[in-house]
Amino acid sequence: MILGDLLGTPVRDADGGRLGRVADVRFVLDGTPRQLMSEARVLGLVVSPHSAASFLGYERINLAQPWPLANLLRWRHRGSYLVLWEDIAMVGKDAVRLRPGFTRYSASLEDGGRQRAGDGK
Amino acid sequence: MTSPDLVPLPPVAGRILDAQLHLLDRQVLDTDGVPVTTVDDLELSGPALGEEIPVGTPAPVLDALLTGPVLGTRIFGGRPPSSRLIRIPWKDVADVGVVVRLGVRGGPLDAGWVERWVRDKIIARIPGGRHDPR
Repeated sequence: MILGDLLGTPVRDADGGRLGRVADVRFVLDGTPRQLMSEARVLGLVVSPHSAASFLGYERINLAQPWPLANLLRWRHRGSYLVLWEDIAMVGKDAVRLRPGFTRYSASLEDGGRQRAGDGK
Repeated sequence: MTSPDLVPLPPVAGRILDAQLHLLDRQVLDTDGVPVTTVDDLELSGPALGEEIPVGTPAPVLDALLTGPVLGTRIFGGRPPSSRLIRIPWKDVADVGVVVRLGVRGGPLDAGWVERWVRDKIIARIPGGRHDPR
């Protein structure tokens, strides 16, 4: 499937309740090693309850500057969380449905955030 | 940054890439550093649309970077049909950083056909267009 079709799709829980939209798709490079890089496996979806897409990713990193922009975008994407592939029950054309009792993981890119915070010091 | 009620992500073995943040709209350079194209979209190996995903199904993998005539659809919405998109297989990607770097030369890739066509059909017919400027 084409990833662009998945971005912005509404996400619903097992009972059909609205949770948000797919803001991003997270990959992890731990698949079968190829000649140059490992295969990129889908780790999960970043779900944003208040916005249809993510912009610049301030809600996932610790970067706080420029202050007005960082705060505005962090507020816009507040409450974003990561849902792992194991918790996805169905990917449809109009909605992504999650399994009952899915776990909301932090969408933070901690390593990236620490690196950037260190760069600024 | 994140709500305290969220569960921290368990450690994973490989590098993490977010499609929007690290891949989409990045410039693609070939192994010599020559610009090839930009990443307009990505192709996944699954899942099938509208079908239940059984518990324990292996996660889909990233098959290819897609590029193509997306200017019109970016403005007016939608996307070009899948057959019009040009694929750069993920196995050809050597590194993902500020730009996406390929491990192959860009010349023979389908992604550069517009540039090749312009070079061969238009630039080559301009007097002096067949050799390097001196």
